[in-house]
Amino acid sequence: MVPTMTAPPTTRGTPDAELIAESRGRPEAFAALFDRYAGMLYRYVSRRLGPEVAEDLVGETFLIAFRRRDHYDLAHPDARPWLFGIVTKLVARHHRAEAARYRALLRSPVETVVEGPADRVAAGVSATAARSALAPALAGLSKGDRDVLLLIAWGDLSYEGVAQALGIPIGTVRSRLSRARRKVRAALGDTNPLHAQEERWTT
Amino acid sequence: MDDLTTLRDLGRDLEHEPPATLGHQRRRLLDAMGASASRPRRRPAGFPGLPRRANWVMLAGVAAITAALVVVPTVLLRSAAPAGSTVAAPAWDRPPKHGDALNVLLVGSDERLPPKGQPGLKLGRRSDVMILLHLSADRKRVVAVSLPRDSMVRIPACQSSSGATIPSRVDMINQAFDTGGLRCAWKTVESTTGVHVDHAVEISYLGFKDMVDVLGGVDITLPAAVRDPKAKLDLPAGRNHLNGEQALGYVRTRALGDGSDIARIKRQHLLMNALLGQVTTRADDPADLTAFLDVARKAVTSDVDLDLDTLYAVVRGLRESGLDGVRLVTVPFRPSKIDKNRIEWVQPEADRLFEQFKGD
Repeated sequence: MVPTMTAPPTTRGTPDAELIAESRGRPEAFAALFDRYAGMLYRYVSRRLGPEVAEDLVGETFLIAFRRRDHYDLAHPDARPWLFGIVTKLVARHHRAEAARYRALLRSPVETVVEGPADRVAAGVSATAARSALAPALAGLSKGDRDVLLLIAWGDLSYEGVAQALGIPIGTVRSRLSRARRKVRAALGDTNPLHAQEERWTT
Repeated sequence: MDDLTTLRDLGRDLEHEPPATLGHQRRRLLDAMGASASRPRRRPAGFPGLPRRANWVMLAGVAAITAALVVVPTVLLRSAAPAGSTVAAPAWDRPPKHGDALNVLLVGSDERLPPKGQPGLKLGRRSDVMILLHLSADRKRVVAVSLPRDSMVRIPACQSSSGATIPSRVDMINQAFDTGGLRCAWKTVESTTGVHVDHAVEISYLGFKDMVDVLGGVDITLPAAVRDPKAKLDLPAGRNHLNGEQALGYVRTRALGDGSDIARIKRQHLLMNALLGQVTTRADDPADLTAFLDVARKAVTSDVDLDLDTLYAVVRGLRESGLDGVRLVTVPFRPSKIDKNRIEWVQPEADRLFEQFKGD
């Protein structure tokens, strides 16, 4: 199975970089970036920290981004990695709350409404159990490994995007991701040797 | 089941939809924007009306223009012969001259390479750098404004080198030089800024390269490694000794920073600064200076009326005053409405900036 790494560009017309460039002379232009990505960032933060802090944190992310718009590298048309980078730093302040949140899932598994394809319905019960096992594994990951894993799985960033967001080399993204996935698989009780070799991944 | 699929499913389970109250955060952002727009900005003394965006380009006092001021007039003054070539005095309806202040247009030009298979074809030169500088009547202050080459402006009707008339149009400012030479660039700058330009000087890049070589290269400190096969550059971070070709590659490459003309202008300023240091050191050795002047002289085209004594006096004055009176800025700009890949000047800030060129 080859998962889609990067969501299709959501830029409607003007690339993000141009909006940012424009906002340097005309600050109001930056609001378009909020309209474009506030929802996406809210969903991401709500997964990691829950809805209580997500709203404020998204607001703060855009304030920081706005203040730092002069430093944005306009060579990157897509601003998502940049925004995810800022959000990741803010999420780090809540790392204890985040770990506690994942651990709590083990005690009270998320209630899921399974919908859609029949195979998912069939897999529903065991999948729910797997998810409950997965959550504490997330809590046990180092901060750096967790950031990489979740930016890819939940943020839909490419390897390049994650490298850009976290300001780390792409090789580090790969090694962190593979370590994180090994731990997650171990928590899921996975012994499939095929998975152990599945380190490379089409982007 | 794949671990990432399970992880994605878990993510979906945990996700919440953005609430309507997220609008509060939008308002928070708008408030910050309003504050940023109305916050009083620190302006450099003596140059009111300069927008905030121009400041980052303003490098500590010493810059391209100083280099040009030192290099060009010294060259012309010391050599008995006039400049390498000259252009005719302007003959159009010009903005009036005010007082004794002096405005000079500097154009950095580049040979256009012939297309593949036609090595003999001469395409003439194009301009990569345009700087308008203002010397106050007392010659104590200098303002230099970089005019980015992709600025969209109205270019007036000009004569091409073959004598044909090119009609007026809106285009990138460097097209004025490319199609009509130094005179057309001169006319365009006068008509778009409303500033009376007393002199125009063209410095070729090839000449620039030779100038660097005859100086024995230039030392420059790079914040990060530079690699650009197109510009034949492969330089590590830190202190580097550049020969003429490398120096030229460094000012021309677009493979650095945001790849924009603006980033390039910044690098040109940095390199000129380093070069200036080299020139002033060498100026103490007459033999070295003579060799340098001979090379530099060939690189320059100017109008016949260039007042060498005045400029020489300016150079000496600037050297003595430690260049405190020099300010280098880029014209306030934003992405153009006509073409997002081009830029346009922000009004009324740009006009306010040029207004200073009309006083003393």
